[in-house]
Amino acid sequence: MKALINARLTLVWLVLCAVTIVSWWLGGTAEHHGHFVFSTPVTIGVLAIGLFKCRLIMQNFMEVRTAPRWLRLFTDIWLVAFWGAVLAIYLY
Amino acid sequence: MTATERTMSPPHDRDTMSPTDEEANSGIRLPGEGSMWVFVLGDMIIFGAYFVIFMIERTSESAVFLQSQQHLNQTIGLINTLVMLTSSWFVARAVRACRAGDYQGATRLTVCGFLCGVVFILIKIYEWSVEIGHGYTLASNDFFMFYFMLTGVHLLHVVLGLIILGIVFRELRRPTLRRASMVESGATYWHMVDMLWIVIFALVYLLR
Amino acid sequence: MTVVVSTPPTPGAEPDDYQRYRPKSKTDQWICWWSILIFYNLFGLIFVVLTRVMPPPSPHLSTGQIVHFFQVHSLTIKIGFGLLMVVIGFSSWANGLVVFHMKRMSVGSVWAYSYIAALAVGALPGCLFAALCFLTAVFRPDRNPHIMALLYDMGLLMFVGSLGCFATMYLVFALAILLDKNKIFPKWLAYVTIWQIVTEVMAAPVFIFKRGPFSWNGSISFWQGTVIFVIWEVCVVFVLYKAIREQPPRETDAGLLMRSASRIRARRGHEVTADS
Repeated sequence: MKALINARLTLVWLVLCAVTIVSWWLGGTAEHHGHFVFSTPVTIGVLAIGLFKCRLIMQNFMEVRTAPRWLRLFTDIWLVAFWGAVLAIYLY
Repeated sequence: MTATERTMSPPHDRDTMSPTDEEANSGIRLPGEGSMWVFVLGDMIIFGAYFVIFMIERTSESAVFLQSQQHLNQTIGLINTLVMLTSSWFVARAVRACRAGDYQGATRLTVCGFLCGVVFILIKIYEWSVEIGHGYTLASNDFFMFYFMLTGVHLLHVVLGLIILGIVFRELRRPTLRRASMVESGATYWHMVDMLWIVIFALVYLLR
Repeated sequence: MTVVVSTPPTPGAEPDDYQRYRPKSKTDQWICWWSILIFYNLFGLIFVVLTRVMPPPSPHLSTGQIVHFFQVHSLTIKIGFGLLMVVIGFSSWANGLVVFHMKRMSVGSVWAYSYIAALAVGALPGCLFAALCFLTAVFRPDRNPHIMALLYDMGLLMFVGSLGCFATMYLVFALAILLDKNKIFPKWLAYVTIWQIVTEVMAAPVFIFKRGPFSWNGSISFWQGTVIFVIWEVCVVFVLYKAIREQPPRETDAGLLMRSASRIRARRGHEVTADS
């Protein structure tokens, strides 16, 4: 049981690191002749990965997955509201 | 608890309860103390406001922000993110170890998480010195104003987190303490600090 | 059986006499608590409505605009800050009440003194300085505009930027609550207080920026800081109410006197008896 839980934590950590590298690489694609350029697809990707990472951390590391319903609701609402607001402001 | 201890301490003192992994996985429970969750959730809202204001200010100066962003070292940002994620991983495992009764393991893992936090701070200081060395300071432009303020207040939270991990370490070392709720509370705070950095990395470093 | 005495009891007298003279009320604390409500509402009226310091006028006004600001608001500044000079002393009542409860904590006493000291120092730049500068500026309307601009800058920089004293006060308050084993104040108040420290830090750049979120009227340094301050103050008012209500009556000063009398009696082995 203990090994299973630790395995899950380690898997979450590896996934987090992997998507971090993906988002870093993604940011690197938005350039032209060595200069950064605006890129909506890259930004949407970066923000989506950001939301995904935050949710992974909250659900697994912070144990929101097994927390009372009010906390699960609050954190999910925060995720959507926050990353949604950021995206909305970016697109505006 | 002895009878006298029970009468002296207030009822429902969750500090002395040590839930097992089975309890945690089958039952619904809030890890750590409720007051820490007040802190964490409130901090998430407060920082959320800071980041939203950052995005609003960026809208009117997006070209300046984009150009200035180029002067940040993306690789250092990546390394810092990986360091933070790793420290969170150590601390999460420490909580599980504590619950399983493996206090030696939990202590070791807490120390590892702590050291990762120190490494994060050192890298951050190095990164700042590079930026300042190139002439970019708090007053250079709005992007760097936000960069230094956001990473600065985050650094303050990391330092506070190290103090909290130190308290967790002390808690785990003393056989008379070892309250799971204290360890869980400290871990919850540390994970929030990790999460805030994730947001900073996405909005300040990567967003184009 | 017991002799009725009309003079205050002396140490070592029969404990029954203490019963008659022990005050049971917390009137002094309630008076202080109510003063907090009254004072902070007055504070709001003065700083928001009358003197226009909250929210502050902008740092990037020109000298001419600053002079115009003082001309337009001259009367309300005089009324508002004149009133502040009279009522500012009430902040000491609020602080006395908080410190009284901090001293009840298992680790409160040292930090109670720091709390008072930090606020005693902070009151000048954080509250009075703006008042004095603005009152001086409107005292002579034909003053040199550059001096008016100086008074404007000094008053508002001090008002928003005097963060060190308050950050210290918040820190000792939070530490005292977190380490207190008597649970006088709830732990969550310590964490709300730590947010206050964060907002003070976010107000530090007001000395650099004349525009933007980190200027003295900025969205972060001023507005967000003020919102969190109001939340903190409301929490403190409620927590103090609860603390006063829940304080055991035996804990009042006379109650402590009673306990020491009981100890004296116990030591003397019940020798002192009531008159027969």
